Amino acid sequence: MILVNYLAAVALLCIGLYAVLTKRNMIKMVMGLSLMEAATYLFMISLAYRAGSTAPVLLSPPPGKSAGDLVHGNVADPVLQNFCLTAVVIGVAVTAVFLSVVVRIAQHYRTLDSDKVRKMRG
Amino acid sequence: MTEAALTSLLPLPVAIPLAGAVTAPLLARLSARLPVIVSVAALTASAAVLLLAAPWVFGGRVIAGYLGHWTPVSGHVLGIAFAADPFGLLLALATAIIGVVLLLYSLSELGGLGPRELGGYACLFQLLLAAVIGAALTADLFNLFVWFEVAALSSYGLAGFFLERPMALEAAFKILVLTTLASFAVFIGAGLLYAETGALNFAQLHDSLARHLTTPDTVALGLLVAGFATKAGLVPFHGWLPDVHTTAPGPVNALFAGPMDGLGILAIGRIVFQVYPAGSTPVLGLLMTFGLVSALLGAIMALAQDDLKRLLAYDTISQVGIIVVGLSASNPAGVAGATYHLVNHALFKALLFLAAGAIVHRTGVTKLSEMGGLARHMPVITAAFLLGAVSIAGLPPFNGYVSLSLIHQGLEQNHDAAAYWLTLAAQVITIAALGRAAWLAFFRRRAGDYEWREQLRPGMLAGLGSLGACCIAFGVAGPALLRTLMAPAAAGLLQPGRYAAGVLSGSARLVTLHITFDYFSPAELVSVAASIVIAAVLGWRYLRIREPRVIGALRALHTGSANDYAAYAIAGTLVAIAVVSLA
Repeated sequence: MILVNYLAAVALLCIGLYAVLTKRNMIKMVMGLSLMEAATYLFMISLAYRAGSTAPVLLSPPPGKSAGDLVHGNVADPVLQNFCLTAVVIGVAVTAVFLSVVVRIAQHYRTLDSDKVRKMRG
Repeated sequence: MTEAALTSLLPLPVAIPLAGAVTAPLLARLSARLPVIVSVAALTASAAVLLLAAPWVFGGRVIAGYLGHWTPVSGHVLGIAFAADPFGLLLALATAIIGVVLLLYSLSELGGLGPRELGGYACLFQLLLAAVIGAALTADLFNLFVWFEVAALSSYGLAGFFLERPMALEAAFKILVLTTLASFAVFIGAGLLYAETGALNFAQLHDSLARHLTTPDTVALGLLVAGFATKAGLVPFHGWLPDVHTTAPGPVNALFAGPMDGLGILAIGRIVFQVYPAGSTPVLGLLMTFGLVSALLGAIMALAQDDLKRLLAYDTISQVGIIVVGLSASNPAGVAGATYHLVNHALFKALLFLAAGAIVHRTGVTKLSEMGGLARHMPVITAAFLLGAVSIAGLPPFNGYVSLSLIHQGLEQNHDAAAYWLTLAAQVITIAALGRAAWLAFFRRRAGDYEWREQLRPGMLAGLGSLGACCIAFGVAGPALLRTLMAPAAAGLLQPGRYAAGVLSGSARLVTLHITFDYFSPAELVSVAASIVIAAVLGWRYLRIREPRVIGALRALHTGSANDYAAYAIAGTLVAIAVVSLA
């Protein structure tokens, strides 16, 4: 049923993109970008999935299996999971910067409307 | 020094500025200027290590080392490779050396700021420089993504550096939205490519993709190109660039226009030539189109600007377009011209932005319509600006002449007449835009005196002087530099098989390319003279007429809304994916 994951990822991506493209409230735009980010994580984790596989941990293998079985056998792809871990860390930092910029904008412009925060154009 | 010792030193040029960045906020507690002084030392050390490798690498070798000695086992790579090829090393060296100049300049211009500001500034500045050097040396796709993100995070901080100015915050929000979207594209692209090929190392990817290319691979190519094009500032991913440059301090502008855009172009070059087999997808045609549109749109918008820094920012978009046009010519002359122009652009755009920053710093005036007569008051700044302008204009013997001639030569060899004439048209409009700016700011009469603020300090003079000297040197020594630096760099890009062999085995030799460059080619000299005459007429006419409709329409497209810019970028990404994977 891994297909459901892919569909969910695409749906999340589209909802997030919809928010980024149409919502003028900057907090909602940040939320949209966070949703898109979550969609990329779901996508990566789903790419790492192998049918019937175990976690890529070689210590204390599940009952009936040895570490050797896992090395040669069916485990989820650890590299893609690593991708996600790295991206989650980066994502937290970016969201923090994002929100602090939005708070500062709200303080200076007294609005969150991205359509009113455009002194520079043309 | 042996080759093995050199490869073990390769992570140092990144590690030293990273360490400097981490300690900068702490050093600021001891003394406000200390972190900037330490950062100058860090970048100098970084440049020195890179220079150690230079004789080997520019002699035509690719040397590679694996972090933690996780060397490949029977062709399978587990570790992260750091490889120095001439193309990457050229950008890394240029970044480190220009970084030293910009930091010295900052010390002099912004030295009066408080310890918190200077500590943060030195930290972010070094992070960005380290990220660009890392991206230039890495041979691993995921590592490239990480350097992209490090550069992105530090650029957000630098874009919003003057937190008390609302405009800077607005610019920071736009760069955040667009770069975050770009990072998703790069992230998904890298993941797809890994899931499909099981490889992240450039060499392994190259071998695998050369054998067979599937649809997910080409979708990944579209995503990666779109993502890195945002960092480079190509149209239609460029929405953030003019705004960020309008509000940032001069040295930050120079840093963004040279090294950071360089990161985007370098990554595009690596992915298109060294990872994917360049001929088997329509990606070169796509890049040629993006490049030509950027070159023309950037030049036209530059002609129409009133804010001096914004004008230079649009010109950056135009020059990046020309570099990408040279790359997508994909023959030795075109690619060597593009790498040459990449370095030249970092030099002359830094010079122009520092000059513009110095004007703002001294007079507080940012708009061309309020400037005038500055040639009398600020002869040094005037000379620096004019030197930068004639370099961009491609006047012999300045550096732009050499690189632009090479790009023209590359396009001629492909019999690509349309691209040749469009590049030339962009060039004419660029000259007109800079000529107009120089006239309005420096030579026009202006009633009333300025409110003079600060003086030019020795560090600022030294920065302007060294960049100006480089602009002249890179022009006069054109043929020699072409032979020793640019031809090997082009060889690195155009011989992906040898680059891949070098990354896998730790060392490989590139075949020397012989690129001829005739300094006194009559055709090129005539075309330069004709461009300048036409540009003078165009610029003069433009000063006297009402704004034409075309420019009004293009202006209206740049609405300033983050939603709209995101929409352009998404549209561009979809076009890139569609063209690359469906055709």
